[in-house]
Amino acid sequence: MKILVIEDETTLAQSIGTYLSDENYLCEFAGTFEEAIYKVEAYDYDCILLDLMLPGGDGIKILEELKAQNKQEGVIIISAKNSLEDKIKGLQIGADDYLTKPFHLSELAARIYSVIRRKQFGNVNVIEQNELKINLLGKTVMVNDQPVSLTKKEFDLLLYFISNKNKVVSKGALAEHLSGEVADMFDSYDFIYVHIKNLKKKLHEAGCDNYLKTLYGTGYKWEI
Amino acid sequence: MGNMSKLLNRSLKKFIIYAGLVLVCSIPVYYAIISWLWDYELNEHNIVLTAEADREDSFRIIIAVTVLTVLFSTLLLGGFILLNRRISGRLWQPFYQSLSKIKNFDLSRPGEITFKETDIDEFRELNQSLYKLIAGNVAIFNQQKEFADNASHELQTPLAVIQSQLDLLLQSKSLSGEQYVIIEDAHKALARVSRINKNLLLLTKIENSQFMDKEMIDLSGLLEKTISIFINFSEAKQLEIKMGAMPGVIVEGNKILVEILLNNLITNAIRHSPPNSTISITLSGNSLVVKNTGSAALQQDQLFKRFGTTSSKTPGTGLGLALVKQICNRYNWKIAYTFNNYQHTFSLDLNLDFLPNRVVTMQDNNPV
Repeated sequence: MKILVIEDETTLAQSIGTYLSDENYLCEFAGTFEEAIYKVEAYDYDCILLDLMLPGGDGIKILEELKAQNKQEGVIIISAKNSLEDKIKGLQIGADDYLTKPFHLSELAARIYSVIRRKQFGNVNVIEQNELKINLLGKTVMVNDQPVSLTKKEFDLLLYFISNKNKVVSKGALAEHLSGEVADMFDSYDFIYVHIKNLKKKLHEAGCDNYLKTLYGTGYKWEI
Repeated sequence: MGNMSKLLNRSLKKFIIYAGLVLVCSIPVYYAIISWLWDYELNEHNIVLTAEADREDSFRIIIAVTVLTVLFSTLLLGGFILLNRRISGRLWQPFYQSLSKIKNFDLSRPGEITFKETDIDEFRELNQSLYKLIAGNVAIFNQQKEFADNASHELQTPLAVIQSQLDLLLQSKSLSGEQYVIIEDAHKALARVSRINKNLLLLTKIENSQFMDKEMIDLSGLLEKTISIFINFSEAKQLEIKMGAMPGVIVEGNKILVEILLNNLITNAIRHSPPNSTISITLSGNSLVVKNTGSAALQQDQLFKRFGTTSSKTPGTGLGLALVKQICNRYNWKIAYTFNNYQHTFSLDLNLDFLPNRVVTMQDNNPV
Protein backbone atom coordinates (compact mmCIF):
# COMPACT_ATOMS: atom_id res chain seq x y z
CA MET A 1 0.00 0.00 0.00
CA LYS A 2 1.42 3.38 -0.98
CA ILE A 3 0.66 6.47 0.99
CA LEU A 4 1.59 10.06 0.20
CA VAL A 5 2.08 12.30 3.21
CA ILE A 6 1.70 15.94 2.19
CA GLU A 7 2.89 17.84 5.24
CA ASP A 8 5.43 20.62 5.62
CA GLU A 9 6.35 19.81 9.21
CA THR A 10 9.02 17.18 8.55
CA THR A 11 9.11 15.77 12.09
CA LEU A 12 5.40 15.10 11.98
CA ALA A 13 5.59 13.63 8.49
CA GLN A 14 8.41 11.34 9.55
CA SER A 15 6.70 10.08 12.68
CA ILE A 16 3.65 9.29 10.58
CA GLY A 17 5.93 7.43 8.18
CA THR A 18 7.63 5.49 10.95
CA TYR A 19 4.37 4.52 12.60
CA LEU A 20 2.80 3.37 9.34
CA SER A 21 5.86 1.62 7.89
CA ASP A 22 5.32 -1.51 9.99
CA GLU A 23 1.83 -1.94 8.61
CA ASN A 24 2.71 -2.81 5.03
CA TYR A 25 2.36 0.83 4.18
CA LEU A 26 5.02 2.53 2.11
CA CYS A 27 5.10 6.26 2.75
CA GLU A 28 6.29 8.98 0.42
CA PHE A 29 6.55 12.59 1.44
CA ALA A 30 5.88 15.99 -0.03
CA GLY A 31 6.69 19.11 1.94
CA THR A 32 5.67 21.84 -0.46
CA PHE A 33 2.76 22.58 -2.71
CA GLU A 34 4.78 22.09 -5.93
CA GLU A 35 6.26 18.82 -4.80
CA ALA A 36 2.82 17.58 -3.82
CA ILE A 37 1.25 18.54 -7.14
CA TYR A 38 4.09 16.86 -9.02
CA LYS A 39 3.81 13.60 -7.08
CA VAL A 40 0.05 13.51 -7.21
CA GLU A 41 0.12 13.88 -10.99
CA ALA A 42 2.99 11.48 -11.61
CA TYR A 43 2.13 8.56 -9.36
CA ASP A 44 -0.79 6.64 -7.99
CA TYR A 45 -1.32 6.15 -4.28
CA ASP A 46 -3.73 4.22 -2.15
CA CYS A 47 -4.20 7.05 0.27
CA ILE A 48 -3.12 10.68 0.52
CA LEU A 49 -2.73 12.56 3.78
CA LEU A 50 -3.18 16.22 3.02
CA ASP A 51 -2.22 19.19 5.17
CA LEU A 52 -4.14 22.27 4.06
CA MET A 53 -1.59 24.95 4.95
CA LEU A 54 1.43 24.36 2.78
CA PRO A 55 4.28 26.58 1.69
CA GLY A 56 3.50 27.58 -1.86
CA GLY A 57 -0.25 27.09 -1.92
CA ASP A 58 -3.51 25.99 -0.43
CA GLY A 59 -3.91 22.25 0.06
CA ILE A 60 -7.51 22.46 -1.08
CA LYS A 61 -6.20 23.12 -4.61
CA ILE A 62 -4.40 19.78 -4.57
CA LEU A 63 -7.66 18.13 -3.66
CA GLU A 64 -9.42 19.92 -6.52
CA GLU A 65 -6.66 18.86 -8.89
CA LEU A 66 -7.08 15.23 -7.80
CA LYS A 67 -10.79 15.34 -8.40
CA ALA A 68 -10.34 17.12 -11.73
CA GLN A 69 -8.08 14.28 -12.86
CA ASN A 70 -10.63 11.80 -11.64
CA LYS A 71 -8.11 10.05 -9.42
CA GLN A 72 -9.43 7.42 -7.08
CA GLU A 73 -7.09 7.89 -4.13
CA GLY A 74 -8.59 8.14 -0.70
CA VAL A 75 -7.81 11.54 0.77
CA ILE A 76 -7.62 12.35 4.48
CA ILE A 77 -7.18 16.00 5.35
CA ILE A 78 -4.97 16.61 8.38
CA SER A 79 -5.35 20.21 9.35
CA ALA A 80 -4.52 22.57 12.17
CA LYS A 81 -7.74 24.37 11.40
CA ASN A 82 -10.60 23.06 13.42
CA SER A 83 -13.25 24.97 11.58
CA LEU A 84 -16.44 23.42 10.45
CA GLU A 85 -16.47 25.38 7.21
CA ASP A 86 -13.10 23.98 6.18
CA LYS A 87 -14.23 20.51 7.11
CA ILE A 88 -17.45 20.76 5.11
CA LYS A 89 -15.63 22.33 2.17
CA GLY A 90 -12.98 19.61 2.18
CA LEU A 91 -15.51 16.80 2.34
CA GLN A 92 -17.64 18.42 -0.35
CA ILE A 93 -14.73 18.66 -2.76
CA GLY A 94 -14.15 14.99 -2.21
CA ALA A 95 -11.94 14.29 0.78
CA ASP A 96 -12.83 11.04 2.52
CA ASP A 97 -12.05 12.16 6.02
CA TYR A 98 -10.90 15.13 8.07
CA LEU A 99 -8.62 14.89 11.08
CA THR A 100 -7.76 17.88 13.26
CA LYS A 101 -4.26 18.33 14.66
CA PRO A 102 -3.12 17.20 17.13
CA PHE A 103 -4.19 13.59 16.65
CA HIS A 104 -3.06 10.18 17.87
CA LEU A 105 -1.12 8.22 15.28
CA SER A 106 -3.31 5.24 16.11
CA GLU A 107 -6.38 7.31 15.19
CA LEU A 108 -4.75 8.23 11.90
CA ALA A 109 -3.93 4.59 11.21
CA ALA A 110 -7.53 3.62 11.90
CA ARG A 111 -8.83 6.28 9.51
CA ILE A 112 -6.36 5.28 6.78
CA TYR A 113 -7.33 1.65 7.19
CA SER A 114 -10.98 2.44 6.92
CA VAL A 115 -10.58 4.70 3.88
CA ILE A 116 -8.47 2.14 2.02
CA ARG A 117 -10.86 -0.69 2.85
CA ARG A 118 -13.82 1.36 1.68
CA LYS A 119 -12.14 2.43 -1.55
CA GLN A 120 -10.63 -0.87 -2.57
CA PHE A 121 -12.76 -3.61 -1.21
CA GLY A 122 -16.13 -2.12 -1.99
CA ASN A 123 -18.84 -4.71 -1.56
CA VAL A 124 -16.85 -7.59 -0.19
CA ASN A 125 -15.29 -5.75 2.66
CA VAL A 126 -14.40 -8.60 4.98
CA ILE A 127 -11.31 -8.72 7.15
CA GLU A 128 -10.04 -12.20 7.89
CA GLN A 129 -7.59 -13.01 10.58
CA ASN A 130 -7.22 -16.68 11.45
CA GLU A 131 -10.47 -17.69 13.11
CA LEU A 132 -11.80 -14.12 13.12
CA LYS A 133 -13.92 -12.69 10.31
CA ILE A 134 -15.13 -9.13 10.37
CA ASN A 135 -17.68 -7.87 7.88
CA LEU A 136 -17.24 -4.13 7.68
CA LEU A 137 -20.41 -3.39 5.77
CA GLY A 138 -22.71 -5.62 7.76
CA LYS A 139 -20.84 -4.79 10.97
CA THR A 140 -20.87 -8.44 11.97
CA VAL A 141 -18.15 -10.54 13.54
CA MET A 142 -17.69 -14.32 13.16
CA VAL A 143 -15.38 -16.55 15.13
CA ASN A 144 -14.93 -20.00 13.60
CA ASP A 145 -17.96 -19.16 11.45
CA GLN A 146 -20.12 -18.60 14.50
CA PRO A 147 -21.54 -15.08 14.87
CA VAL A 148 -20.49 -13.03 17.88
CA SER A 149 -22.81 -10.27 18.93
CA LEU A 150 -20.93 -7.08 19.75
CA THR A 151 -22.22 -3.66 20.73
CA LYS A 152 -21.38 -0.75 18.45
CA LYS A 153 -18.63 0.44 20.80
CA GLU A 154 -17.10 -3.03 21.05
CA PHE A 155 -17.15 -3.36 17.26
CA ASP A 156 -15.48 0.04 16.92
CA LEU A 157 -12.80 -0.97 19.41
CA LEU A 158 -12.13 -4.25 17.62
CA LEU A 159 -11.68 -2.46 14.34
CA TYR A 160 -9.42 0.10 15.96
CA PHE A 161 -7.20 -2.64 17.34
CA ILE A 162 -7.12 -4.50 14.03
CA SER A 163 -6.05 -1.37 12.18
CA ASN A 164 -3.32 -0.80 14.78
CA LYS A 165 -2.18 -4.37 15.13
CA ASN A 166 1.07 -4.96 17.00
CA LYS A 167 0.98 -1.38 18.22
CA VAL A 168 0.64 -0.12 21.76
CA VAL A 169 -2.52 1.94 21.98
CA SER A 170 -3.10 4.15 25.01
CA LYS A 171 -6.33 4.41 26.93
CA GLY A 172 -6.58 8.09 26.08
CA ALA A 173 -6.45 7.38 22.36
CA LEU A 174 -9.20 4.77 22.76
CA ALA A 175 -11.39 7.13 24.78
CA GLU A 176 -10.99 9.81 22.17
CA HIS A 177 -11.86 7.37 19.44
CA LEU A 178 -15.03 6.21 21.18
CA SER A 179 -16.33 9.53 22.46
CA GLY A 180 -14.92 11.93 19.92
CA GLU A 181 -14.42 15.50 21.04
CA VAL A 182 -16.07 15.12 24.41
CA ALA A 183 -13.56 12.55 25.63
CA ASP A 184 -10.95 15.13 26.30
CA MET A 185 -13.18 16.99 28.69
CA PHE A 186 -12.54 14.35 31.30
CA ASP A 187 -9.54 13.03 33.10
CA SER A 188 -10.73 9.57 33.81
CA TYR A 189 -11.22 7.12 31.00
CA ASP A 190 -12.47 4.34 33.23
CA PHE A 191 -15.43 3.57 31.01
CA ILE A 192 -12.97 2.15 28.48
CA TYR A 193 -12.23 -0.78 30.82
CA VAL A 194 -15.79 -2.00 30.71
CA HIS A 195 -15.97 -2.07 26.92
CA ILE A 196 -12.61 -3.75 26.58
CA LYS A 197 -13.42 -6.30 29.24
CA ASN A 198 -16.67 -7.19 27.48
CA LEU A 199 -15.01 -7.38 24.08
CA LYS A 200 -12.33 -9.71 25.41
CA LYS A 201 -14.89 -11.86 27.16
CA LYS A 202 -17.15 -12.20 24.12
CA LEU A 203 -14.29 -13.10 21.79
CA HIS A 204 -12.87 -15.54 24.27
CA GLU A 205 -16.22 -17.27 24.83
CA ALA A 206 -16.64 -17.68 21.07
CA GLY A 207 -13.32 -19.51 20.97
CA CYS A 208 -11.12 -16.72 19.66
CA ASP A 209 -7.47 -16.63 20.69
CA ASN A 210 -6.47 -13.92 23.10
CA TYR A 211 -4.89 -11.41 20.72
CA LEU A 212 -5.66 -8.38 22.84
CA LYS A 213 -2.96 -7.90 25.44
CA THR A 214 -2.94 -5.41 28.28
CA LEU A 215 0.40 -3.66 28.69
CA TYR A 216 1.78 -1.56 31.51
CA GLY A 217 -1.62 -1.55 33.18
CA THR A 218 -3.37 0.93 30.92
CA GLY A 219 -2.12 0.26 27.41
CA TYR A 220 -3.39 -2.29 24.92
CA LYS A 221 -1.93 -4.18 22.02
CA TRP A 222 -3.52 -6.43 19.41
CA GLU A 223 -0.78 -9.00 18.91
CA ILE A 224 -0.60 -11.23 15.89
CA MET B 1 -25.48 58.22 41.11
CA GLY B 2 -28.34 59.77 43.13
CA ASN B 3 -26.82 63.23 42.98
CA MET B 4 -26.33 63.10 39.25
CA SER B 5 -28.24 65.62 37.23
CA LYS B 6 -28.16 66.75 33.68
CA LEU B 7 -25.59 69.30 32.72
CA LEU B 8 -28.19 71.80 31.49
CA ASN B 9 -30.38 71.60 34.58
CA ARG B 10 -27.41 72.14 36.77
CA SER B 11 -26.42 75.50 35.26
CA LEU B 12 -30.04 76.60 35.03
CA LYS B 13 -30.66 75.95 38.70
CA LYS B 14 -27.76 78.19 39.71
CA PHE B 15 -29.02 80.92 37.39
CA ILE B 16 -32.48 80.80 38.86
CA ILE B 17 -31.27 80.85 42.45
CA TYR B 18 -29.02 83.79 41.72
CA ALA B 19 -31.75 85.71 39.89
CA GLY B 20 -34.23 84.94 42.68
CA LEU B 21 -31.77 86.17 45.32
CA VAL B 22 -31.09 89.42 43.49
CA LEU B 23 -34.80 90.07 43.02
CA VAL B 24 -35.63 89.34 46.67
CA CYS B 25 -32.84 91.62 47.82
CA SER B 26 -34.09 94.31 45.47
CA ILE B 27 -37.45 94.58 47.30
CA PRO B 28 -36.10 96.51 50.37
CA VAL B 29 -33.88 98.60 48.09
CA TYR B 30 -36.86 99.59 45.92
CA TYR B 31 -38.86 100.31 49.05
CA ALA B 32 -36.15 102.46 50.59
CA ILE B 33 -35.68 104.48 47.41
CA ILE B 34 -39.39 104.99 46.74
CA SER B 35 -40.02 105.93 50.40
CA TRP B 36 -37.20 108.42 50.30
CA LEU B 37 -38.50 109.94 47.04
CA TRP B 38 -42.00 110.08 48.49
CA ASP B 39 -40.88 111.77 51.68
CA TYR B 40 -38.74 114.15 49.69
CA GLU B 41 -41.69 115.06 47.47
CA LEU B 42 -43.95 115.62 50.50
CA ASN B 43 -41.38 117.83 52.19
CA GLU B 44 -40.89 119.83 48.99
CA HIS B 45 -44.57 120.67 48.91
CA ASN B 46 -44.81 121.06 52.68
CA ILE B 47 -47.41 118.44 53.00
CA VAL B 48 -47.68 117.01 56.45
CA LEU B 49 -49.31 113.67 56.84
CA THR B 50 -50.68 112.10 59.93
CA ALA B 51 -48.67 109.20 61.30
CA GLU B 52 -51.45 106.86 60.32
CA ALA B 53 -51.56 108.02 56.71
CA ASP B 54 -47.81 107.75 56.57
CA ARG B 55 -47.95 104.13 57.71
CA GLU B 56 -50.66 103.40 55.20
CA ASP B 57 -48.53 104.83 52.41
CA SER B 58 -45.52 102.75 53.43
CA PHE B 59 -47.70 99.71 53.48
CA ARG B 60 -49.00 100.39 49.96
CA ILE B 61 -45.52 100.97 48.67
CA ILE B 62 -44.34 97.65 50.10
CA ILE B 63 -47.25 95.81 48.53
CA ALA B 64 -46.82 97.51 45.17
CA VAL B 65 -43.08 96.90 45.11
CA THR B 66 -43.47 93.26 46.12
CA VAL B 67 -46.21 92.56 43.62
CA LEU B 68 -44.28 94.21 40.80
CA THR B 69 -41.05 92.46 41.70
CA VAL B 70 -42.72 89.07 41.88
CA LEU B 71 -44.52 89.70 38.60
CA PHE B 72 -41.43 90.76 36.72
CA SER B 73 -39.23 88.18 38.30
CA THR B 74 -41.67 85.44 37.33
CA LEU B 75 -41.70 86.74 33.80
CA LEU B 76 -37.94 87.03 33.76
CA LEU B 77 -37.23 83.61 35.26
CA GLY B 78 -39.90 81.84 33.21
CA GLY B 79 -38.37 83.38 30.12
CA PHE B 80 -34.95 82.30 31.27
CA ILE B 81 -36.03 78.73 31.75
CA LEU B 82 -37.77 78.51 28.41
CA LEU B 83 -35.04 80.24 26.48
CA ASN B 84 -32.31 78.25 28.20
CA ARG B 85 -34.02 75.02 27.46
CA ARG B 86 -34.48 75.86 23.81
CA ILE B 87 -31.14 77.44 23.16
CA SER B 88 -28.97 75.05 25.06
CA GLY B 89 -30.95 72.06 23.89
CA ARG B 90 -30.05 73.05 20.37
CA LEU B 91 -26.57 74.06 21.39
CA TRP B 92 -25.73 70.74 22.99
CA GLN B 93 -27.48 68.64 20.36
CA PRO B 94 -24.24 67.47 18.68
CA PHE B 95 -22.91 66.46 22.07
CA TYR B 96 -25.91 64.30 22.83
CA GLN B 97 -25.82 62.78 19.38
CA SER B 98 -22.18 61.80 19.77
CA LEU B 99 -22.95 60.47 23.21
CA SER B 100 -25.69 58.15 21.99
CA LYS B 101 -23.44 56.96 19.15
CA ILE B 102 -20.72 56.04 21.61
CA LYS B 103 -23.21 54.34 23.88
CA ASN B 104 -24.33 52.05 21.07
CA PHE B 105 -20.82 51.34 19.91
CA ASP B 106 -19.47 47.87 20.56
CA LEU B 107 -15.82 47.11 19.90
CA SER B 108 -16.48 43.51 19.10
CA ARG B 109 -19.06 44.34 16.48
CA PRO B 110 -17.53 45.53 13.29
CA GLY B 111 -19.05 48.64 11.78
CA GLU B 112 -17.95 52.19 11.21
CA ILE B 113 -18.98 54.88 13.64
CA THR B 114 -19.75 58.32 12.21
CA PHE B 115 -20.60 61.43 14.15
CA LYS B 116 -22.81 64.15 12.74
CA GLU B 117 -21.04 67.20 11.36
CA THR B 118 -21.20 70.18 13.67
CA ASP B 119 -20.24 73.85 13.23
CA ILE B 120 -19.21 74.27 16.85
CA ASP B 121 -15.46 74.12 17.29
CA GLU B 122 -15.43 72.41 20.65
CA PHE B 123 -17.73 69.65 19.52
CA ARG B 124 -15.87 69.15 16.30
CA GLU B 125 -12.71 68.76 18.29
CA LEU B 126 -14.44 66.34 20.62
CA ASN B 127 -15.65 64.23 17.72
CA GLN B 128 -12.24 64.19 16.12
CA SER B 129 -10.65 63.05 19.36
CA LEU B 130 -13.30 60.36 19.66
CA TYR B 131 -12.61 59.15 16.11
CA LYS B 132 -8.95 58.89 16.94
CA LEU B 133 -9.56 57.10 20.21
CA ILE B 134 -11.98 54.63 18.68
CA ALA B 135 -9.78 53.93 15.67
CA GLY B 136 -6.89 53.17 18.02
CA ASN B 137 -9.01 50.83 20.08
CA VAL B 138 -10.42 49.04 17.07
CA ALA B 139 -6.92 48.50 15.72
CA ILE B 140 -5.70 47.09 19.02
CA PHE B 141 -8.78 44.90 19.33
CA ASN B 142 -8.30 43.51 15.83
CA GLN B 143 -4.63 42.91 16.42
CA GLN B 144 -5.42 41.03 19.56
CA LYS B 145 -8.07 38.93 17.85
CA GLU B 146 -5.75 38.13 15.01
CA PHE B 147 -2.98 37.30 17.41
CA ALA B 148 -5.11 34.88 19.41
CA ASP B 149 -6.28 33.28 16.19
CA ASN B 150 -2.83 32.93 14.67
CA ALA B 151 -1.18 31.89 17.90
CA SER B 152 -3.71 29.11 18.40
CA HIS B 153 -3.28 27.88 14.84
CA GLU B 154 0.47 27.99 15.03
CA LEU B 155 0.40 26.06 18.28
CA GLN B 156 -1.58 23.17 16.80
CA THR B 157 1.30 21.95 14.64
CA PRO B 158 3.98 21.67 17.34
CA LEU B 159 1.36 20.05 19.55
CA ALA B 160 0.72 17.54 16.80
CA VAL B 161 4.46 16.86 16.59
CA ILE B 162 4.70 16.21 20.33
CA GLN B 163 1.66 14.00 20.25
CA SER B 164 2.97 11.88 17.39
CA GLN B 165 6.41 11.58 18.97
CA LEU B 166 4.86 10.36 22.20
CA ASP B 167 2.79 7.84 20.25
CA LEU B 168 5.98 6.60 18.61
CA LEU B 169 7.79 6.41 21.92
CA LEU B 170 4.95 4.25 23.16
CA GLN B 171 5.92 1.68 20.52
CA SER B 172 9.47 1.33 21.77
CA LYS B 173 10.21 -2.31 22.57
CA SER B 174 12.37 -1.51 25.59
CA LEU B 175 9.78 0.61 27.33
CA SER B 176 9.39 -0.03 31.06
CA GLY B 177 6.15 0.30 32.97
CA GLU B 178 7.51 3.37 34.71
CA GLN B 179 8.36 5.03 31.43
CA TYR B 180 4.94 4.19 30.11
CA VAL B 181 3.35 6.07 33.01
CA ILE B 182 5.55 9.09 32.27
CA ILE B 183 4.42 9.08 28.65
CA GLU B 184 0.80 8.79 29.70
CA ASP B 185 1.15 11.77 32.04
CA ALA B 186 2.77 13.79 29.29
CA HIS B 187 -0.12 12.75 27.04
CA LYS B 188 -2.62 14.00 29.57
CA ALA B 189 -0.96 17.37 29.94
CA LEU B 190 -0.74 17.62 26.19
CA ALA B 191 -4.42 16.85 25.82
CA ARG B 192 -5.13 19.66 28.23
CA VAL B 193 -2.99 22.14 26.34
CA SER B 194 -4.67 21.33 23.07
CA ARG B 195 -8.05 21.62 24.75
CA ILE B 196 -7.22 25.07 26.11
CA ASN B 197 -5.94 26.05 22.72
CA LYS B 198 -9.08 24.81 21.00
CA ASN B 199 -11.31 26.67 23.43
CA LEU B 200 -9.32 29.90 23.10
CA LEU B 201 -9.71 29.65 19.37
CA LEU B 202 -13.41 29.07 19.81
CA LEU B 203 -13.80 32.08 22.08
CA THR B 204 -11.96 34.24 19.59
CA LYS B 205 -14.19 33.00 16.82
CA ILE B 206 -17.36 33.75 18.76
CA GLU B 207 -16.05 37.21 19.53
CA ASN B 208 -15.16 37.60 15.88
CA SER B 209 -18.84 37.17 15.17
CA GLN B 210 -18.40 33.85 13.48
CA PHE B 211 -21.08 31.20 13.92
CA MET B 212 -23.67 33.80 12.98
CA ASP B 213 -26.10 31.53 11.14
CA LYS B 214 -29.14 30.65 13.18
CA GLU B 215 -31.73 27.94 13.09
CA MET B 216 -34.59 26.71 15.22
CA ILE B 217 -33.21 24.14 17.63
CA ASP B 218 -35.23 21.59 19.57
CA LEU B 219 -33.50 22.15 22.88
CA SER B 220 -35.31 19.27 24.58
CA GLY B 221 -34.07 16.81 21.97
CA LEU B 222 -30.58 18.23 21.92
CA LEU B 223 -30.37 18.03 25.70
CA GLU B 224 -31.35 14.39 25.70
CA LYS B 225 -28.81 13.63 23.00
CA THR B 226 -26.08 15.47 24.92
CA ILE B 227 -26.79 13.60 28.11
CA SER B 228 -26.67 10.28 26.28
CA ILE B 229 -23.18 11.15 25.01
CA PHE B 230 -21.96 11.76 28.55
CA ILE B 231 -23.59 8.73 30.09
CA ASN B 232 -20.31 6.79 29.79
CA PHE B 233 -18.57 9.30 31.99
CA SER B 234 -21.33 9.73 34.55
CA GLU B 235 -21.75 5.99 34.94
CA ALA B 236 -18.05 5.55 35.50
CA LYS B 237 -18.45 7.86 38.50
CA GLN B 238 -21.69 6.21 39.62
CA LEU B 239 -23.59 9.44 39.18
CA GLU B 240 -27.32 9.48 38.78
CA ILE B 241 -28.63 11.97 36.24
CA LYS B 242 -32.19 13.04 36.95
CA MET B 243 -33.58 14.72 33.96
CA GLY B 244 -36.87 16.52 33.61
CA ALA B 245 -37.25 18.08 30.22
CA MET B 246 -40.37 19.71 28.94
CA PRO B 247 -40.73 18.44 25.39
CA GLY B 248 -40.72 20.76 22.43
CA VAL B 249 -38.74 23.68 23.82
CA ILE B 250 -37.49 25.51 20.77
CA VAL B 251 -34.76 28.12 20.78
CA GLU B 252 -33.22 30.06 17.97
CA GLY B 253 -29.46 29.94 17.73
CA ASN B 254 -26.42 28.42 16.15
CA LYS B 255 -26.43 24.68 16.66
CA ILE B 256 -22.72 24.35 17.29
CA LEU B 257 -22.78 27.06 19.94
CA VAL B 258 -25.84 25.68 21.70
CA GLU B 259 -24.22 22.25 21.72
CA ILE B 260 -21.06 23.69 23.25
CA LEU B 261 -23.13 25.45 25.88
CA LEU B 262 -24.94 22.25 26.89
CA ASN B 263 -21.72 20.21 26.74
CA ASN B 264 -19.89 22.59 29.03
CA LEU B 265 -22.65 22.88 31.62
CA ILE B 266 -23.13 19.12 31.78
CA THR B 267 -19.42 18.24 31.78
CA ASN B 268 -18.84 20.66 34.62
CA ALA B 269 -21.61 19.03 36.63
CA ILE B 270 -20.20 15.55 36.00
CA ARG B 271 -16.62 16.57 36.57
CA HIS B 272 -17.21 18.35 39.85
CA SER B 273 -19.73 15.98 41.43
CA PRO B 274 -18.52 13.67 44.14
CA PRO B 275 -18.98 9.98 43.24
CA ASN B 276 -22.37 8.42 43.93
CA SER B 277 -24.22 11.74 43.92
CA THR B 278 -27.07 13.02 41.82
CA ILE B 279 -27.11 15.58 39.06
CA SER B 280 -30.44 17.14 38.28
CA ILE B 281 -31.13 18.74 34.94
CA THR B 282 -34.44 20.51 34.44
CA LEU B 283 -35.64 22.13 31.28
CA SER B 284 -38.84 24.08 31.71
CA GLY B 285 -40.60 26.50 29.42
CA ASN B 286 -37.97 29.18 29.50
CA SER B 287 -35.13 28.02 31.66
CA LEU B 288 -32.57 25.27 31.98
CA VAL B 289 -31.34 24.43 35.46
CA VAL B 290 -28.36 22.16 36.15
CA LYS B 291 -27.74 21.18 39.76
CA ASN B 292 -24.98 19.10 41.27
CA THR B 293 -23.65 18.41 44.72
CA GLY B 294 -20.68 20.33 46.02
CA SER B 295 -18.97 21.15 49.28
CA ALA B 296 -18.44 24.90 49.04
CA ALA B 297 -19.72 27.79 46.99
CA LEU B 298 -17.70 28.90 44.00
CA GLN B 299 -16.47 32.43 43.58
CA GLN B 300 -19.25 34.28 41.78
CA ASP B 301 -17.09 37.04 40.36
CA GLN B 302 -14.40 34.72 39.01
CA LEU B 303 -16.65 32.00 37.73
CA PHE B 304 -17.39 33.24 34.24
CA LYS B 305 -14.00 34.80 33.61
CA ARG B 306 -11.36 33.24 31.43
CA PHE B 307 -9.10 31.09 33.55
CA GLY B 308 -10.98 32.42 36.57
CA THR B 309 -11.41 28.98 38.08
CA THR B 310 -8.44 27.09 36.70
CA SER B 311 -6.73 24.83 39.14
CA SER B 312 -4.26 22.05 38.68
CA LYS B 313 -6.64 19.67 40.38
CA THR B 314 -9.20 19.59 37.61
CA PRO B 315 -8.72 18.70 34.00
CA GLY B 316 -10.79 21.74 33.06
CA THR B 317 -9.48 24.37 30.76
CA GLY B 318 -10.77 27.29 32.78
CA LEU B 319 -12.56 28.42 29.67
CA GLY B 320 -15.76 26.38 29.73
CA LEU B 321 -17.87 28.85 31.64
CA ALA B 322 -16.35 31.81 29.84
CA LEU B 323 -17.59 30.17 26.66
CA VAL B 324 -21.01 29.59 28.19
CA LYS B 325 -21.19 33.25 29.17
CA GLN B 326 -20.06 34.41 25.77
CA ILE B 327 -22.68 32.28 24.04
CA CYS B 328 -25.39 33.51 26.42
CA ASN B 329 -24.41 37.10 25.68
CA ARG B 330 -24.82 36.46 21.98
CA TYR B 331 -28.43 35.34 22.40
CA ASN B 332 -29.41 37.58 25.32
CA TRP B 333 -29.78 34.60 27.58
CA LYS B 334 -28.91 34.96 31.22
CA ILE B 335 -26.74 32.56 33.13
CA ALA B 336 -26.73 32.68 36.92
CA TYR B 337 -25.00 30.70 39.62
CA THR B 338 -26.22 30.06 43.15
CA PHE B 339 -25.10 27.77 45.94
CA ASN B 340 -27.66 26.46 48.37
CA ASN B 341 -27.85 23.45 50.58
CA TYR B 342 -24.61 21.99 49.17
CA GLN B 343 -25.96 22.27 45.65
CA HIS B 344 -24.27 24.18 42.85
CA THR B 345 -27.01 25.53 40.65
CA PHE B 346 -26.54 26.98 37.21
CA SER B 347 -29.69 28.45 35.75
CA LEU B 348 -29.98 29.55 32.20
CA ASP B 349 -32.78 31.98 31.49
CA LEU B 350 -33.73 31.56 27.86
CA ASN B 351 -35.66 34.78 27.62
CA LEU B 352 -38.61 33.10 25.94
CA ASP B 353 -41.64 34.90 27.33
CA PHE B 354 -43.61 34.26 24.21
CA LEU B 355 -42.81 30.59 24.30
CA PRO B 356 -46.24 28.90 24.35
CA ASN B 357 -47.26 30.42 21.03
CA ARG B 358 -44.00 29.53 19.48
CA VAL B 359 -44.19 25.89 20.53
CA VAL B 360 -47.66 25.60 19.10
CA THR B 361 -46.73 27.13 15.78
CA MET B 362 -43.63 25.00 15.49
CA GLN B 363 -45.67 21.89 16.08
CA ASP B 364 -48.29 23.01 13.60
CA ASN B 365 -45.67 23.55 10.97
CA ASN B 366 -43.95 20.26 11.55
CA PRO B 367 -46.46 17.51 12.11
CA VAL B 368 -44.42 14.52 13.15
